[in-house]
Amino acid sequence: MSGRADAGLAAVLVVALAGGLLLGGPGASPGQALSVLVGQGDPDATAAVLGVRLPRLVLALAVGAALALAGAALQSLLANPLADPFLLGISGGGAAAATLAFAALPAAAIGLVPAAAMLGAAASTGMVWWMARGPLGPSPTRMLLAGVAVNAATSAVILAILALAPSPRLAGALAITLGSFAAASPEAAWWLAPYVAAPLLVLLYHGRDLGLLALGEESAAGLGVEVAIVRRRVFLAAAALCGGAVAFAGVIGFVGLITPHLCRLAWGFSPRRLFPRTALAGAALTALGDLAARSLLAPAELPVGVVTAVIGVPFFVALLRRSP
Amino acid sequence: MTLLVAAGLRGGYDGRDVVHGVDLEVRERTCTAILGPNGAGKSTLLRLLAGVLPGTGGSVELLGRPLASWRRREIARTLALVPQQVQLAFPLTVREVVEQGRAPHLGPWRPAGPHDHEAVVTALTRVGLAGAGGRPVQRLSGGERQRVLLARALATEARLLLLDEPAAGLDVRHQLAFVETLRELQADGVASVVVLHDWNLALQLADQVLVLRGGSSYASGTPAAVLTETLFRQVFGVEVEIIRPTAGTPVIVARRQA
Repeated sequence: MSGRADAGLAAVLVVALAGGLLLGGPGASPGQALSVLVGQGDPDATAAVLGVRLPRLVLALAVGAALALAGAALQSLLANPLADPFLLGISGGGAAAATLAFAALPAAAIGLVPAAAMLGAAASTGMVWWMARGPLGPSPTRMLLAGVAVNAATSAVILAILALAPSPRLAGALAITLGSFAAASPEAAWWLAPYVAAPLLVLLYHGRDLGLLALGEESAAGLGVEVAIVRRRVFLAAAALCGGAVAFAGVIGFVGLITPHLCRLAWGFSPRRLFPRTALAGAALTALGDLAARSLLAPAELPVGVVTAVIGVPFFVALLRRSP
Repeated sequence: MTLLVAAGLRGGYDGRDVVHGVDLEVRERTCTAILGPNGAGKSTLLRLLAGVLPGTGGSVELLGRPLASWRRREIARTLALVPQQVQLAFPLTVREVVEQGRAPHLGPWRPAGPHDHEAVVTALTRVGLAGAGGRPVQRLSGGERQRVLLARALATEARLLLLDEPAAGLDVRHQLAFVETLRELQADGVASVVVLHDWNLALQLADQVLVLRGGSSYASGTPAAVLTETLFRQVFGVEVEIIRPTAGTPVIVARRQA
């Protein structure tokens, strides 16, 4: 099962990579794009493929990996299959801060939006953390309820900003709320890389601990997990992943919730085996979602979050119904 | 050899102590039963002994060293806590749960080796789940889940087991099997501290009993010396008859509320 699932994942990734570069968007036909990839493209097609499609593809892959990993980590950490960067308000906090920065900052300082998103994600993580703290430490249930509260607050902030934002800024602020890779650039992809790579290392290091935490904190502590330390590190890693994703692509729902479930059905439970594959699967799913977002109603674009939901939900339902 | 010593141990939740100054000494190859009515602090005492709940006073020493100076992974290699239940939000298989028992030996990177697999198979066999490794734990009955958690503890190869009502959901055959397993482990040098509601099981198993009432130690010693009609009246509020056959273990029969 695991070997076939690996092969399937590799195939999906290849399709996502090929689709992202060969299809989707004006500037180069699939044939012209293929010529570019083998080094024989004309300048216009080269600019379209390497200057526009490639950065967009890389950004979609990185954001998808980040969101899927954050979801997988939080689900294990909180022993709750419904845990997700969105439910806990981490993405919402990032989006609220990014929207605020986008609407309020002078044009020259617009480069600070990503930093604001990361701060917002970290701040909302801190708020969830503070609210969820009980006599026995933060409990999973309290944490999810705290996430509901943070989400309500960040939604209100975003709506207020959208209502009050000066009209030239409205479209950009809205893009953060809707989620889009339209603003991708090679720099954005490079900027995002450390926000995915460093947390990935943290999560792989604590993979075994997270597997134990999925059966509850007391159970994990009994098997040698330093629960408080692991929890703090994993939360910070998830905040970095979500903040990075929101900063460069806005809010894209669903990837963090569904991808880990799909991967568990294919590869079983072990987080050490699961995390790298979850990152790759999230990357592929999001890249394919972006391809569909660009293609379905071309030349208009759908919000990518809508597309990832449309692609993922039927898969999820089908696999769920087939699972034991 | 003494494995664990608790002295004046206190602790609880939310700033309120549930356990008030309990003393306990656990030697290797022994079984200690903790008895007491509901809310007496039995599970809390077990958590304090395992160090998963920090105490508010007193001390616990494991192998002569204060428990607080141990790293959690070191503790987990020496002492295994078997909780009454765990959260089962994900569809883990029996084998995946039991394999968790090897985590204290593996650390973050080392993959499981032949000895780890052997320990898992031995543990599954000992609790009678050798053929059930692939079954999802979520679909097991309460008693089967308790055996899975016991197997996970056995897979740690710890020298001291702390078991919280391990026999509560077991049918008679598996209760007997459980008694046998603990005796085998005892012969191998493993000690256990077992929270029990079944007094007769305590009589069968325990070398010493500790009876808690209101979070304090009410009595401790050998089962024959401690478990008397008077104690059951005063601690549990029931009149019992203790049938003492000429050979074999006495039998406690509860007659009515005192």
